[in-house]
Amino acid sequence: MWRVLIPLRTSSISLRAVVIITADSACELHPHVAVRPEPFGALAYHYDNRRLVFLRHPDVVKVVTSLAHHDSVADTLRAHDIAEERWPAFVSAIDSLISSEIVRVR
Amino acid sequence: MKLMEKDTTVTAEQTVETDAVNSAASVEAELLVEEISIDGMCGVY
Repeated sequence: MWRVLIPLRTSSISLRAVVIITADSACELHPHVAVRPEPFGALAYHYDNRRLVFLRHPDVVKVVTSLAHHDSVADTLRAHDIAEERWPAFVSAIDSLISSEIVRVR
Repeated sequence: MKLMEKDTTVTAEQTVETDAVNSAASVEAELLVEEISIDGMCGVY
């Protein structure tokens, strides 16, 4: 069970909603995010919130950029032959990317 | 009584193992992605 905090902003107050993310969740790269390949992996930049995230392994780049093409995070990891012992780290990394709004739940 | 002690031991071992797995996952997750702040930098946007 993985928990993600997503900030919700209104004109005067800031709220936080808790979203539960699992390997069964369906996610996608946010449409306002650009991913630029780099020798270490890739840079992901969100044009709205101006967040910049280093994707520091080619595997995480492949997974993040193809989340939309699979029914779940697990299906994506399986499609890229990610060993199951690494899945918790990938789900945790995707949690982090959701809190940065680089990835979103669909 | 002995059975209860055994169960407690197993539960403790499982907890330690789960914590170790979660910890390892967190460490690898930190290595997989890293967010940096560019607020305040000139000429980057």
